[in-house]
Amino acid sequence: MGADREGGVRRPVRAVAYAACGVVLLAGCATMPDSGDLRDVESTPRRDTEVRVFAIPPREGAPPAEILQGFLEALTSDDPQYATARQYLTETAARQWRPESSTTVLADGPGIRVDRTTGRDATDDYAVALTGSKVARVDEQQSYTSLTGPYSQPVHLTRDKKSGQWRIDVLPQGVVMGQSDFQRNYMSVNKYYLASDTWAESGTSTTAVADPVYVRRRVDAMTQMVRSLLAGPTNWLKPVVRSSFPTGTALRGGVTALTPDDQNKLTVPLNGKASEVGREKCWEMATQLLFTLQNLTPTVDTVELQRADGSILCALGEGRAGSVARRGPVKRSDYLYFVDDKRRLVRMPGTGTSAEPVPGALGEGVQQLASAAVSWDERTVAGVSSDWKSLFVGSLAAGSPLEPPVLQSRGKAEADRLTAPSWDAQGDLWVADRDPAQPRLLVLEQGEGKPLDVRVPGLNGRVDAVRVAADGVRIALVVQAKDDSKSLLIGRIERDDSSGDRPVVSVLELRSAAPELENVTAMSWAGDSRLVVAGREQGGVQTMRYVQVDGSTPEGSPPAALTGVQSIAASEDDRLPLVAYSSEDGIVRLPSGAQWQKVVKAGWAPVYPG
Amino acid sequence: MSGDSAAPAPGGTGDRTGRPVGRTGAGSRWGRLLDGGLLHGGVQGSPVLRLFLRWVRRPLLPVMRLWRRNIQLRVVVTTLLMSLGVVLLLGFVVIGQVRNGLLDAKVKASQSQATGGFAVAKQRADEAATATGEAASTTDGRSSQNVIQWMSDLVSSLSSGGQGAFDVVTLPAAGDDSGGGRGPRASGGVDPTASVPEELRARINGSMVAAQSYARIVYKDSDKGSQPALVIGKQVNDPNGDPYQLYYLFPLSQEEKSLSLVKGTLTTAGLFVVVLLGAIAWLVVRQVVTPVRMAARIAERLSAGRLQERMKVTGEDDIARLGEAFNKMAQNLQLKIQQLEDLSRMQRRFVSDVSHELRTPLTTVRMAADVIHEAREDFDSVTARSAELLADQLDRFESLLADLLEISRFDAGAAALEAEPIDLREVVHRVVGGAEPLAERKGTRIRVVGDQQPVVAEADARRVERVLRNLVVNAVEHGEGRDVVVKLASAGGAVAVAVRDYGVGLKPGEATRVFSRFWRADPARARTTGGTGLGLSIALEDARLHGGWLQAWGEPGGGSQFRLTLPRTADEPLRGSPIPLEPKDSRRNRGLDDAGLPRGEEKRATVPVQATGDRTASARGPIASRPVAVPPTADPTALPGNGARVVPRPASDARGQEAVPAVETAGNGSEGSAAPERVGPRDVTQQGEASRGR
Repeated sequence: MGADREGGVRRPVRAVAYAACGVVLLAGCATMPDSGDLRDVESTPRRDTEVRVFAIPPREGAPPAEILQGFLEALTSDDPQYATARQYLTETAARQWRPESSTTVLADGPGIRVDRTTGRDATDDYAVALTGSKVARVDEQQSYTSLTGPYSQPVHLTRDKKSGQWRIDVLPQGVVMGQSDFQRNYMSVNKYYLASDTWAESGTSTTAVADPVYVRRRVDAMTQMVRSLLAGPTNWLKPVVRSSFPTGTALRGGVTALTPDDQNKLTVPLNGKASEVGREKCWEMATQLLFTLQNLTPTVDTVELQRADGSILCALGEGRAGSVARRGPVKRSDYLYFVDDKRRLVRMPGTGTSAEPVPGALGEGVQQLASAAVSWDERTVAGVSSDWKSLFVGSLAAGSPLEPPVLQSRGKAEADRLTAPSWDAQGDLWVADRDPAQPRLLVLEQGEGKPLDVRVPGLNGRVDAVRVAADGVRIALVVQAKDDSKSLLIGRIERDDSSGDRPVVSVLELRSAAPELENVTAMSWAGDSRLVVAGREQGGVQTMRYVQVDGSTPEGSPPAALTGVQSIAASEDDRLPLVAYSSEDGIVRLPSGAQWQKVVKAGWAPVYPG
Repeated sequence: MSGDSAAPAPGGTGDRTGRPVGRTGAGSRWGRLLDGGLLHGGVQGSPVLRLFLRWVRRPLLPVMRLWRRNIQLRVVVTTLLMSLGVVLLLGFVVIGQVRNGLLDAKVKASQSQATGGFAVAKQRADEAATATGEAASTTDGRSSQNVIQWMSDLVSSLSSGGQGAFDVVTLPAAGDDSGGGRGPRASGGVDPTASVPEELRARINGSMVAAQSYARIVYKDSDKGSQPALVIGKQVNDPNGDPYQLYYLFPLSQEEKSLSLVKGTLTTAGLFVVVLLGAIAWLVVRQVVTPVRMAARIAERLSAGRLQERMKVTGEDDIARLGEAFNKMAQNLQLKIQQLEDLSRMQRRFVSDVSHELRTPLTTVRMAADVIHEAREDFDSVTARSAELLADQLDRFESLLADLLEISRFDAGAAALEAEPIDLREVVHRVVGGAEPLAERKGTRIRVVGDQQPVVAEADARRVERVLRNLVVNAVEHGEGRDVVVKLASAGGAVAVAVRDYGVGLKPGEATRVFSRFWRADPARARTTGGTGLGLSIALEDARLHGGWLQAWGEPGGGSQFRLTLPRTADEPLRGSPIPLEPKDSRRNRGLDDAGLPRGEEKRATVPVQATGDRTASARGPIASRPVAVPPTADPTALPGNGARVVPRPASDARGQEAVPAVETAGNGSEGSAAPERVGPRDVTQQGEASRGR
């Protein structure tokens, strides 16, 4: 009996317990979870919100103004071969017109000025002029050149005898469009060539040099880039780089579009010129292609080159490309170097907060420093004394003694003495002497020996700052002109070993990288063909922005504003933040996606290796 | 055999015509079936269709049968269908409401967004117009300067306001494709001309009022599929004052997702509800149907005679009450039947006892009457006549008593069969020989047919002889002086003796009643003459005892035929008779349908006499007929006298064995030995009688 009763009591209790558990479980399903397992977030591609213009063919019986308007509209469309635009031209003009020859960028787009003398009365003639102010020009090699000045080109419309329709029969070659249309339709890409071997005696792999060009964004950019790469480097860069593609190499006839397959492999069929190259050469070719296409969508992981007969020349994956040619610095640096309040060189991990003195003499504070530069391999360091008079070179090995200065300036004032030094990838040290009596740009081979005077033809003023690109081929100079304006110029380093025992080093074909800035205070390389610049526009305040070496403005937003920037250190590595020295806040850094943060109040001259 | 016998022949033919749905799909039969179907159904033009329908229906037939027979299936399926219908209806209503709600909210938000966008566009156009006007006040040649870039910038800035929430499209204003040489612009990869409906363009073109429409966004140069969208458009002016059309395209993908979520939820819920309702219906019906099925099974057993069967009753619900009531009913039935059986047993016993008890005084009376009868010459004429009458009626009384005893022995199941192989020819000759004197008196000739070969069967010779004597005497008596033919035959597992007369015959329906006890053709006539009225009943019981049949056929004025069919070996079920019940020389067979009687009735005038062969009979066809055996009279002794009561060969008790010879002598006496003297007066009295009660 007792057992029975016990069981009878227990059974409902258990049932209630089960029911309660079930209710709790269900209740768990019915609320939003506040904990759970970890999971990767799949990146959803950003929606393409860009505006597209759709070209429309000319309307029957349209007046000449409308024809002209429609033609200019068609130029801004995505029509690959400008087929619609050609419909606005007479047959002869359409045959002669070569839209790919150039692209002229006007500030506000082309204006139309009707030529009064021929305009109104004539029934079969209509002459206008396209006007505007030039901003830039993209030439046939697709290289961008900043321009200024007014633009005016005649355009003539005539009425077709047979059909009675208005058509354009005289027009300038190339395409003309406004600046925002240009930015919408074109994009800057880097094609990569190899630095000429004349100078790189080191046994390491060759260096890849970026050659920025502009391609039309939505007209099969990949094929355009490959064609452009095969066509060879732009004129400005040609003397110092070589292409591993034999001259005349092109895509095999009949190939219209290149697309990677679903394993991200791009097959590039070449014509007969490239059929005989060796394996090493072919790897170089593939490396050039891989570097060129790396930032493009769809992603390309592997490149396969095909001979003219369809057989495989070679294939190269992304992982192997790095061993064929070097792009950017040899070694990734994790340290930020700067001069601390004891005027010695200290270093700090890229995202850290505490600094430690560098090993070696310059970290001991024996010689007070104003600025320093650390070589790419982080073994050698060059420092400028705190009075900007002497340049010291020391080793970063612990206990190494302080050597005597390798260079001394005879400038009277501090601002007329040495600039901050810069190392190139080959281990040569570049520095400029601002002595007004004898302004010089100097290079010390391997950071020692007698400084070499660098010839800078066409230099107007004195060099106020110098930074060598990681590829050792291009150099950025801030040049102070006579009227005290400071402009950013990019030059090409050429070295001639042929004459005598000492090579002749020259910086050639200086061109402006930031034409709109008239007072550049600081700059640093921030990419293969990109610099970050702090400067002032005419009549403006100091801003900081990125510029392309060809003078165009790259996509993306500029870094957040900062006042009183004296020097900037940027790295091509995305992980390392942009660091600046501000006269108000000391050393500050800008981690990606955040605001400026203070690092050290008492510190000067932050640099990354280079 | 076909057409004249009630037993197997009609069954055979009926088999063919009565079941049109022949299972045996023999090709030859299709044509006949089709012909029949066409003739009957009149669906002349579409045999192929019928074939097809039949082909379709054939696999469904089991399902349909199940549907007809299974109440559970019916209820569950009906519930499922109804709940499905309700769920579908509910789903449509709810989805419609949710859709309307989502759309309302979206439309309101979109309209305010688009209105703001149009205002911005107008404002920017005004700003640009004033700026251009200031900059180029001198020349009007620069009027169309900035529009290309300005418009692209406008679209870009408007569309950047809503990342993915909407896209912006501009179209030239004019109805035809190129207004002012301006190309369409679109953000987000939208195909502008395909995405904006023509009606909306035409509507906007005329007025300065914004309009909206639903459309599908088509994307260009991407694998993104088109999606539904709300398009709001308005005609606005550019800096030059030229109109163009500005559209806001709001994709409804989010709303579509919400709707599909609701749809999915509703579908899942509906599915569960339908399944739940189906399961509930199944359970409920199961609760009800299971006892009903049990009751049906029990009832079947009860009807099969197993009166002790009861339902299992558990619980106190309605079903339990039904079971209790059912059980009570079964118990009452059992009780009543028991009582009736007791009563009938008591009555039989009473009859038997009365018969026995009457014999002793009757013997005394008989002796006294004999003495008086012997001395009748000494009496005066009136007294002598009385003495004769007394003797006659005593004879009658005695034979009646003997028959009663005999039949009560049958009723009590005391009759025992002593079967041995006999040659029926001997029996027939003996019977015919015994009936000769009577026949001579009536002027009738008795012919025996079919006695060339021995007709051997395992039978009780005494009983067979009694039956045949009864039949032959009856035939002679009612034969009206015409010939009486006794026919013998043997075929298969059966032997048969048919007695044919050409007397008054039988009226329709009488063929079944002649075997009833104390039956007479004219009830008004008192049974003062003739037989006891039990002769044919006893004969029937005898035949049944053998497992044989005794059947009658007759037609008014055409005579009658009685046929006795016996199995060749005892206990072997009969499958048919070697002699057709209806003779070949019947009027119908001769085509003399003078009486105008429907033949079918005559044909059915049979009494299947079957002691044990119920299932054989049913297998053979329509002669089966349990109901035929129920006697019409209210004679209490008749109740156990039906076929079912005759137990084949019970363990015969001593009394029965003793009694048989006694009755035998009595019975035989009445028909056989005593026949010569007694036939006379009976003949006289029965001459004009149509009664076949004997």
